[in-house]
Amino acid sequence: MRPSKISGFVALLAVVAAWELVARAGLVNPLLFPAMSKILASFLALLASGEIPAQIARSMERAAAGYFLAATVCIPLGVAMGLSERVYRALEVVVETLRPVPPPVVIPVAMLFLGIGDGMKIFVIFFSCAWPILLNTIDGVRNIDGLLVDTARTFGLARGRTILKVVLPAAAPQIMTGLRISLSITLILVVISEMIGSTDGIGYFILNAQRRLKVDQMYAGMIALALLGYILNQAFLFVSKRLLRGR
Amino acid sequence: MPLLEVDALCKSYDGSAGAATLAIENISFNVERGEFVALVGPSGCGKTTLLMCIAGLAAPSGGRVAVKSQLVDRPPPDLVLVFQEYNRSLFAWRSVLGNVLFGLEAKGRGGKAADERARRLIGLVGLEGFERHYPWQLSGGMQQRVAIARALAYEPEVLLMDEPFGSVDAMTRLELEDALLAIWKELGTTILLVTHDIEEAIYLSDRVHVLARRPSRVVETVAIPLPRPRHQVTTRAEPSFMELRNRIYRRIADAG
Ligand SMILES: Nc1ncnc2c1ncn2[C@@H]1O[C@H](COP(=O)(O)OP(=O)(O)O)[C@@H](O)[C@H]1O
Ligand SMILES: [Mg+2]
Repeated sequence: MRPSKISGFVALLAVVAAWELVARAGLVNPLLFPAMSKILASFLALLASGEIPAQIARSMERAAAGYFLAATVCIPLGVAMGLSERVYRALEVVVETLRPVPPPVVIPVAMLFLGIGDGMKIFVIFFSCAWPILLNTIDGVRNIDGLLVDTARTFGLARGRTILKVVLPAAAPQIMTGLRISLSITLILVVISEMIGSTDGIGYFILNAQRRLKVDQMYAGMIALALLGYILNQAFLFVSKRLLRGR
Repeated sequence: MPLLEVDALCKSYDGSAGAATLAIENISFNVERGEFVALVGPSGCGKTTLLMCIAGLAAPSGGRVAVKSQLVDRPPPDLVLVFQEYNRSLFAWRSVLGNVLFGLEAKGRGGKAADERARRLIGLVGLEGFERHYPWQLSGGMQQRVAIARALAYEPEVLLMDEPFGSVDAMTRLELEDALLAIWKELGTTILLVTHDIEEAIYLSDRVHVLARRPSRVVETVAIPLPRPRHQVTTRAEPSFMELRNRIYRRIADAG
């Protein structure tokens, strides 16, 4: 481990220790602020019972559906908009009007049309993930050195193959940036949408624990979510490194 | 019928303030099949622009370019341009081998034969052992050689080269000149090479077109009757070599 990582780990331990001390000293109402040892015990119990894994699995199903849908739609669309001034002009107004809408605002509308089922959540995640992927792809494609495309043309590469062999790999780092930003947005939106209308998922679990005053479980759910975010980000970095190397 | 015809070519760029830059005013010349022709001229006289028009990557403002009697309005097949800005034309995500294989892949050639051909050309330009390196790990001169190897591996019928040895050191340059001549002879490629090195132009080519600026045009075409195969020491030491050199030099100086 790098020294900076070790010191970060130490800092985390310090926070946990401070939490434990404050809780045990009875400085805060223990009903709202249980000792960290109690929270961790609850977390491990929920992990062992399969409760947390099941809830996270439900959330991940929705997150993955919305996220991959956004990538599947927005990468090709972004390439088209980045390459063609005409396509860009045709869609610019739509993009610029919809993009500033804060994603949670879409939830009531989505509930109206799609109810509170998975469709609503997937749509909300799709809507919020779409912009970073789309805008980064457009930008990445537009900023490609024109000489690379000229090189492909002088070697007689047809347009479709030029996109696959030159445009996409050249824009890949920025497309990856968009995908990474959207990954963290996905997590936020799946939790919010589950808190607003759902009967399962990690977002629902946290809110429900709070309502039933199972405060230790509420915190346990938050820990699970933090760990999930960390693991997803690491997994993304791992995959993106390999993808970028093998372009 | 000449393989390559440039007829009254004119090219202007739209300026930002509405004022257009006239990069080429009126250039005409031909290149015969299998010929090695060099273009020399002061910088800014439109040599790069000319090659971009011939390669079908820039649209002329007037006149016409034809390759094998076909009007060039898109990149012609079997014609490859080695860009002056070689470093910007390399694919950063591909290794040296990957870059050299690019042209072969574009042609639909893959597998062991393509791999062997690419490796042979990497060796020919003196980059053996660097196959797995990436462009950013190489010096400018080495990058330039990757771009040359990539074009040669493609085996184009017509090869356009824009100051291809500008960044390589003097010794390597001589070796590359001879390597290019060897390939030219082996494959019967037609080569049009831009250089600012008059001696290089004479040493390599059958004919040298001398370009001048304002208006940019061919002011003189000098036939190079030096015998082949040429030799870096003896050819360059011949009295006629010196005469040709002086004549072209004077012509460029006069034309300004
Ligand atoms: N893309 C461009 N836009 C505007 N002017 C250009 C462009 N490319 C070249 N020029 C101008 O055209 C002239 C010829 O340039 P170039 O063809 O690069 O000459 P050379 O290769 O002989 O040095 C120069 O005056 C240059 O400034
Ligand atoms: Mg030039």
